[in-house]
Amino acid sequence: MGNIYHNKTAQWIVYAVFFAILAVIPIKIDDSFLLNQLATYGVYGMLALSISLCWGFGGILNLGQGIAFGLGAYGMAMTMQMQSQDASNPIPPFMLNNSLDHLPLLWQPFQNTTAGLILSVAVPTLFCAVFGGIMFRARVSGPFFAIMTLAMLSAFYTIIIDRQPYTGGVNGLTPPSAFQFAGVEVDPYSPTAYWVVFCFLMGATVVAKLITQSSFGLVTQAIRDDAERVRFLGYSVAGYETVIYTVAGLIAAIAGCCWVMLVQYVSPAQLDVSFSLSMVIWAAIGGRHSLLGSIFGAFIIQGAQSYLGDTFLATWLLILGGFFIIVVRFLPNGLASLLESGLGLLAAKRRSSSAAVERNGDANPMPAE
Amino acid sequence: MDLGSLLNALILGVSIASIWLIAALGLTIIYGTAGVINMAHGELIMLGAYSSYMLQFYLGLPYLLCIPASFFIVAFVGLVLERGLIRYLYNRPLDTLLATYGVSLVLMQGVRLIFGSDPKYIAAPAAFSSNISLGFASISTFRVVILGVTALLVFGLWLLFYKTRFGVQVRAVMQNKEMAASFGINSGRIYMLTFALGAGLAGVAGSLFGVLAIVLPTMGASYVVQAFLMVVVGGGSLAGSVAASGATGELQSVLAFFTNDTFARFIIFVLIVVFLRFRPQGLFAQAGARR
Repeated sequence: MGNIYHNKTAQWIVYAVFFAILAVIPIKIDDSFLLNQLATYGVYGMLALSISLCWGFGGILNLGQGIAFGLGAYGMAMTMQMQSQDASNPIPPFMLNNSLDHLPLLWQPFQNTTAGLILSVAVPTLFCAVFGGIMFRARVSGPFFAIMTLAMLSAFYTIIIDRQPYTGGVNGLTPPSAFQFAGVEVDPYSPTAYWVVFCFLMGATVVAKLITQSSFGLVTQAIRDDAERVRFLGYSVAGYETVIYTVAGLIAAIAGCCWVMLVQYVSPAQLDVSFSLSMVIWAAIGGRHSLLGSIFGAFIIQGAQSYLGDTFLATWLLILGGFFIIVVRFLPNGLASLLESGLGLLAAKRRSSSAAVERNGDANPMPAE
Repeated sequence: MDLGSLLNALILGVSIASIWLIAALGLTIIYGTAGVINMAHGELIMLGAYSSYMLQFYLGLPYLLCIPASFFIVAFVGLVLERGLIRYLYNRPLDTLLATYGVSLVLMQGVRLIFGSDPKYIAAPAAFSSNISLGFASISTFRVVILGVTALLVFGLWLLFYKTRFGVQVRAVMQNKEMAASFGINSGRIYMLTFALGAGLAGVAGSLFGVLAIVLPTMGASYVVQAFLMVVVGGGSLAGSVAASGATGELQSVLAFFTNDTFARFIIFVLIVVFLRFRPQGLFAQAGARR
């Protein structure tokens, strides 16, 4: 009778309840604006999940998750932009403003929606695989890797701003119409869009949970705790790290696609350092060792920002920063660890009371030493 | 290609290098000694700019006195920060990164609450606003002042670290904290003082940057990543940061001469990533440094 927090069946039940609640939402709510907002929280939840997988379970602090998210978002925005171009008007307007007279090679594949979608997910994933592979092979880890991802993120941020004719520069891309797939238009304010995000969030969470419970996940957690020992045991540490980092990147890329589908907009701000750091904050506050905790962290912080942010407009960042400092200082494993220790206390109490019953039932108590 | 303008770019490169170096100096000391990744460094620079602005605007202090005054004000802030938060996190390097990011949010928003988001200006003596021309190259006097201050600070730090008793203690703690402690060095005190010193250096940088650009609550964010890369490329030592800033400053200026500023920056970021792939320990690795 251990801590129920660590009970796998209990965990899956909590997951089922969590997603059941999320699934009920679009049936109960018919405010399309609110539904769209909740769907964006789902996207943030996916980002927090990816951070939790990579940082909480792989021990890789990634301050550049905005790379995968941003590249996915740009790919999706390019696909959607090209959907609204036709033979009579083949070039997006911002390119004309930047005096491009033909579609650049970079944009050509995005004329096809399927190819565009595949590229939006494949390019960031491939980038993570290559970048992660190179870095982990060189045994860059811990704070160093964090700073390298920061440098890489800044590199992408600057190149997107610099190549204005191809990327829209600081203004970003604003596809004029909603995303269409197989002849169906996905209105960002419709329940359909919510369901798409819901399915991806649930799928990503289940896959991530299965990964953490697999023997692969166990090895990554061992690497997180002591990479050197795992290396001495003969595991390819770099290989494991690359895979978990790439899976996290894949989830973030999908989140990027969903995000653009919901807001029809992307700009370099999605690759800004502060956005990637806020993903880390969500996971850290929610509890990076808990997938669901991280998703919750994103919901809580973003929800609070939307609703408290209006009332405490001036002090919101102050509150967030202060709260974050307190969590890091006193609760390094986030809010989920409160639940863990709470349930642990409960289990301990139950154990000691049952132990007491046994002692009382004992006819011949041992003499005290 | 015009040789004169290339020469001009080279001279500008020295100036860029000195700006990056002075932004990275405080971080070098904090990171090099205690291994703390201080994400609030940019905001300490911002505080330096604001304290110079306040001293000048409310007390009418001459600009040249504002620079050392900012040093002490921000050093005090750093001292409070270290005693109140950082000292509990020394054995958790990733958590110092996160906690100091929280600090940076608080500082930025706090300053925005007090001073508002509109830009402030620090007035420098009129003599600084002219240009110095060296043959066919010309550079603003203030950039020369920054170069001078940076050189002075580097020399001062070198004296402090290599010629004084305090410096020996700092280097001993850097190399092996436990061993230093068993020789009677109070490592907690050393960490505290170096953190305050590093913060103070950020304050000096801030009071200079406040003249070079406008003073804004968000001004720190643009320096912190750059400063970090200088420190990591340099390997956390003083000489390393000087060499790293020198090399990247020149590269930035020359690349910007052939392409443009943003693209040059992109190339530098990529080059740094490639460089660190092959030398994760930086240009000058310290013997027995804590990793």
